[in-house]
Amino acid sequence: MSLTLQGMTWLTRRQVLVGSAGLVGAASVLGAPALGQSSSGPLKIGVLLPRSGILAQAGQSCARAEAIGASVLKGLGYSVEILSADTESNTDTARARAEKLINDGAHVIVGAFDSGQTGAAAQVCEQRGIPLVVNIAAAPQLTEQGYKTFFRNFPTSLDLVGNAFPLMKEVFATTGKAPTKALFLHANDTFGMANKGAFERLFPNAAMPFSMLEPIAYDPKAQDLSVEVAKAKASGAELLIVTTRAADAILIVREMVKQRFEPMGIMSPGSSGLYDEQFYKVLGKYSDYATTILPWYDGKTPLSQQVRAEFVKIFPKDNFEGHAFNIGCTLDALLVAADAHKRAGTTAAPALLEALRTTKLETHMMIGPAITFDAKGQNVNFSSAVVQNLDQRPTVVLPKGAAEKAPVFPMPGWQNRG
Amino acid sequence: MLTQDLFEGVTPRGKMLFTAGLGALLLLPEVADSYLISILTLIFWFAYVGQAWNVMMGFAGQLSLGHALYVGLGGYGAAALYMHLGLGPWVGMLVVVPVCALVGMAIGWLGFRFGVRGVHFALLTIACAEFTRVAFDHITALGGSGGLFLPVVGGRGDDLLMLRGSPQLYYYVMLVLALLALALCRIVTRTRLGYFWLALRENPDAAAALGIPLLRVKLLAVGLSAGMTAVGGVFYAFYYNNLFPDQVFAMGRSIEILLGPIVGGIGTVFGPVLGAMILTPLGEGASLLLEALGITLPGTKQVIYGLMLVLIICFRPAGIWPWLAVKAGLVVPPGETDLREKGEAE
Repeated sequence: MSLTLQGMTWLTRRQVLVGSAGLVGAASVLGAPALGQSSSGPLKIGVLLPRSGILAQAGQSCARAEAIGASVLKGLGYSVEILSADTESNTDTARARAEKLINDGAHVIVGAFDSGQTGAAAQVCEQRGIPLVVNIAAAPQLTEQGYKTFFRNFPTSLDLVGNAFPLMKEVFATTGKAPTKALFLHANDTFGMANKGAFERLFPNAAMPFSMLEPIAYDPKAQDLSVEVAKAKASGAELLIVTTRAADAILIVREMVKQRFEPMGIMSPGSSGLYDEQFYKVLGKYSDYATTILPWYDGKTPLSQQVRAEFVKIFPKDNFEGHAFNIGCTLDALLVAADAHKRAGTTAAPALLEALRTTKLETHMMIGPAITFDAKGQNVNFSSAVVQNLDQRPTVVLPKGAAEKAPVFPMPGWQNRG
Repeated sequence: MLTQDLFEGVTPRGKMLFTAGLGALLLLPEVADSYLISILTLIFWFAYVGQAWNVMMGFAGQLSLGHALYVGLGGYGAAALYMHLGLGPWVGMLVVVPVCALVGMAIGWLGFRFGVRGVHFALLTIACAEFTRVAFDHITALGGSGGLFLPVVGGRGDDLLMLRGSPQLYYYVMLVLALLALALCRIVTRTRLGYFWLALRENPDAAAALGIPLLRVKLLAVGLSAGMTAVGGVFYAFYYNNLFPDQVFAMGRSIEILLGPIVGGIGTVFGPVLGAMILTPLGEGASLLLEALGITLPGTKQVIYGLMLVLIICFRPAGIWPWLAVKAGLVVPPGETDLREKGEAE
């Protein structure tokens, strides 16, 4: 019997049934759910990072922790298997890749360097009940959205800026020199705007020796920052506080050299750029004395030394310090996941989530007390260090207990460098 | 009658394949995993917004390279109404769709009234999307460039009214939206307005000579296209839960929107759907292929994707659907419809 509408021969019931059955059958083969995941065996960690696209440099730097982590985690008695995925620096892809990682059997997701991409992955992890351990992403809103499977082992912008103020004062006290006017020059992306918000909120009560001038924002994808640097110079700022990514940090310093803009210092409350390997390679002597105040790795612990040794073995041509922050944050996130697995004794998501909530991880790479999470999944026990570029490598100069050298402030002029 | 109109010119084989495919898509969430569901949701989204873009370019011949503007305005508008007034996305659509349609028509009026045509009109659409992006970077009430994060509401199951729930919910919502867009376009192209658009697209001077009110007809195309795209933006906001001006208003997103119709077939009703069905799996397929080959070099996927795109456009410049539909016997070849109708009448 055929379906006939308005005198028009349509299609037979058999045709519909056969066609539908065939397509559903094909779809079920293509999209069959992953076979029941065993709760024993190694922990599969899906590492979601921007390995291509605009954030590729930082993402690939973080990804080095995968190669190093495989042997380091094994040495610490953890049983893990790492699955890699590329967000392509895009939120749509981050979401799809998170789904794919979980589909491929990932029990935990680690990532995703950028707040936007982390937010997209968090939505998937929440829907699937899979824990997401954040390596780097500072937007405070992420832990305010109400996710139950979200654990961030990275300070929020408020924490980064809040930790930076007392350490800045310590730099001024140690060197006996302090600026009177500071200017905040920042990328207008998620991280830059979050830092700007934190500055506006915390500065009035920070009792800093300088006043803040009108901030200047710029597009991090800009190819030319000469206007912004000229404006900063014209403002008479004695201290340039920046929130940069990789390429724009280089553009800013190049312009400063070109325009002979010589403030007392360049300081960043935790942004990338000033301590990236590319920054040293491109700028050479001009990269020196730029200062970042951020959570940093503790070079004196056996774990950090082991990581450094592995790094040198695997990436003999690269400079460890240029990647240390990204590797440290990512490795600590891997450690958090592996530790939860060890304590839970299973890869089942509910047990892993419960174990993550009760995390108290003493052995980790970054400076600070044991890693723990509050009710919102935020690690609030972060410490920061003052890391200054000296002899073209990031050097801890404060706090004194972890310092390798004394801070230099004000920084020498561009023409007075060897 | 409506069904007959919708399937006019489609062969029994085409109808069978469409019905079987639709049946399969309806049943698929029962057997597929979340990854496949999310990929299909993305395909439906691109099919939907591609269809919306096709109204303007494919049917009325007005090139827009800034359709991300309406995705962003729709998304931000509905998200703001949800966060600040507690209005759900469907209610939000009642506000943002007319607003976006008016914005589109205002841009269109600026262009058409002052004789800005072709490439110059396309540049105008890019400029509007770009300055809106820059403006949203500085609207702090909507998060500025730091992004707008929608709160997560968990533990209440699927909530269609608030568009909150499982991947299956988003899948079905997007499937229905894509089907509605398909049906709408199919119907509109058969109306007096649709024929006016066709005349405008093929020869604006001749259309004007025939007395077609070109300005009004163009504005209707832009308005409908912008309004439809805004619905896609609303879905985007509630699906991803966060919005960033440099992602939703980006030039790259505008290009992604128009790639589907170009690959599928500009000016055809099913072309944008087919384009989305090819492009999204192509990207994912490239990733899977590289994974299977053990190639982990970042960026390789984009190179493969680009090459495939070049090949498709070189070999099928008019799009794949017009060729495939005739080759596979899914539609009655152009020119034969009239003959058949004449035969039936005799």
